[in-house]
This record gives sequence, structure tokens and C-alpha cells, in this order.
Amino acid sequence: MILHTLNTSPSSPAFADCIRLLRKGDALLLLGDGVYAAIKGTRACIELNNSGAELYLLQPDTAAAGLQNRIDDTLTPVDYEGFVALTERFPKQQAWY
Amino acid sequence: MIYSLLVLSSPCSGQGSVTALRFAQAVIERDHQIQRIFFLDEGTLAGASSMVSPQDENDTVQLWANFAIKHKVELILCVSSALKRGLLDSGEAERYEKTAATVHPAFEISGLGQLIDASVASDRLITFGG
Amino acid sequence: MSTINKKSLLVVVRHSPYGSSLARTSLEVALSSATFDQDVGLLFIGDGVLQLLPEQDSSTIGVRNIARLIASFPLYDLETLFADKAALAQYGLDLQELPEKLQLLDDDAMANLFKCYDHILSF
Repeated sequence: MILHTLNTSPSSPAFADCIRLLRKGDALLLLGDGVYAAIKGTRACIELNNSGAELYLLQPDTAAAGLQNRIDDTLTPVDYEGFVALTERFPKQQAWY
Repeated sequence: MIYSLLVLSSPCSGQGSVTALRFAQAVIERDHQIQRIFFLDEGTLAGASSMVSPQDENDTVQLWANFAIKHKVELILCVSSALKRGLLDSGEAERYEKTAATVHPAFEISGLGQLIDASVASDRLITFGG
Repeated sequence: MSTINKKSLLVVVRHSPYGSSLARTSLEVALSSATFDQDVGLLFIGDGVLQLLPEQDSSTIGVRNIARLIASFPLYDLETLFADKAALAQYGLDLQELPEKLQLLDDDAMANLFKCYDHILSF
């Protein structure tokens, strides 16, 4: 129902607050420093998977961070048109930063 | 659909401002309309005409200006955020007796009412912060 | 300014009162919405609950007082206020010290709150 966007790293208060409110039926887009939560096997990544939400990753930011071969395959990379497509499906956005 | 954007991210720190711009470009590419882009708090620095960018980095002010001119999109800087950060158009510069106008002409300075108005008129309101 | 259509707005505030300009900005947006007769709610979550501490004396740092701004909300009919119950407990904030109409929410209630508004403004 809600599109959450997160652009700070897993050690940030924003990550903790986001996890608390992320629900099945929501989507989460990681961008900026948020992409570090997609590193496979990390506690952050496990927490994201446990939320039941759809998980997405902004591709240019993932490449900038050097994470192309390190991300968990439960996350779907999207480009900017994919980002807009998410906002078409989810009428409301909560930005965590 | 009609979109409005709220941009809080500074163009000088982090990627938020350019991210918002690239999102706005993709909104147009997907055949939606943009009602308004409202810059607030640190986001207002996107309108700083005196900003000098390193040659190998984005000139964010110019990128926003080019986008707005090409697609006829309204870029609004919140007046109280802008004044605090030394962003004045010629009217404000004269009023406050400051030496120069420092806002790029592609941007307009206005109040929070423009954000509220945009939210009422829009199907989607997307915030970019941090 | 068109008020024929209204949209309900939830202003989500996550920042402490004086550590950045976002706290003041967020409250001004909420007040503006109320002034323009919009249906607005304000959610204080995480460190945002620190804005609710009652005895702030911001004259010591030369900025406007956030607590005083919050106390003025009823004058603008801004009375739909929510706060993160867990964060209030974490910071030891006593219910008696908080605005009268503040509704305390747990995580599930806050997640549900997002669904109740047309737009979310995230600060």
C-alpha cells in the first residue's frame, strides 16, 4: 500500500524507523546510501526480507556503490522509469532519510 | 497522472537533488505531468545562481534550469528557506539591501501555500530528502 | 489557491527540535496546511518526539522555540497529533507533560495511519 524510500545506511536511525513500519503489501526502494542494506547475508538484508514487503534497488546508485555482485537476489534492480512505475502503483510515499 | 515533488536535499551534499531531477525526467518520459517542484530547507540551494561546480561533476543548478525550461516545469523555492540561505531574487535583494540577486531565473521564490496548493492538485506527492 | 478539492496530508516528523532546520520546517508546513484549511495530521516518530519536551528555552541558542510553536497549534485548528509510543517511553517522556490531544500509537497503528491520508510529507 505504501512506497517507502530509504537513502541512508543500515546503521542510521532512518533504517530502524523504516523497518518498524514496513509491512507486507508495501514496497521499499533503496537508493543513495540505502543500497547498502541490500548486501546479501547482512542482518539488514535479512530484516528487509522478513518484512514481507516488495524490495527494490535503484540501479545507478547500486553501481556507484560497487555492489553489483554483492546484492541479495530478493531485491529487484530498477532504473528511474522503474522508480516512477512504483509510484504509479503505490499512491503514497514515505521518504526515510 | 499529476505529480508534485518536494525537494529537501541539498545539491552540494549527497545525491538527493540530482536523484529528484532524474526522477522528474522519468515522470515526463512516462507521459505524466508535473504540477510543481517545490524546494524547501536545504533543497533551495538548487536555485543558487552563483554556485560554481567542479568541471567533472554535475552542475546541478544548471541541470534543474535546463529541465524546467525544456519541459516548462515550475520550480519554486520556499521564501523563508531561501532567504536564510542567502538566496534572493532581485526584489528581495533590494528589500533587504543585499548586494546581489542570487537566484537563477528559472526558479521562482514563493511561500508554503504553493506546496499546499500543489499537493491538492496532484495525484502523487514525492519527497526527496537527505 | 484552489480549495475546492481537499487532500488530506500527514506530516511525518522524525527530527529533534534544534539539531537541524527540518523540525521547524516540518511544523511550518503543518501549520500552513491547517491555515489553508486542509485536513492535516502530524506524526512525531523516533527522535521527532523530542520536539514535544515542554520546557525548551531556545533563547539560550538564539533560535525560535519549537515547544512554543507546538503549543500554538490549537489556535490554527491543528489538533490531529500522533506520537510514537515506543520513542516516548525510550526517552522517558511523561504523558502528563504532553499536549492534551496527542494520540499515542504503537508500530502497527503508525503503519495503519499512513493509509488514512492522501499524501505523506516526510521530514
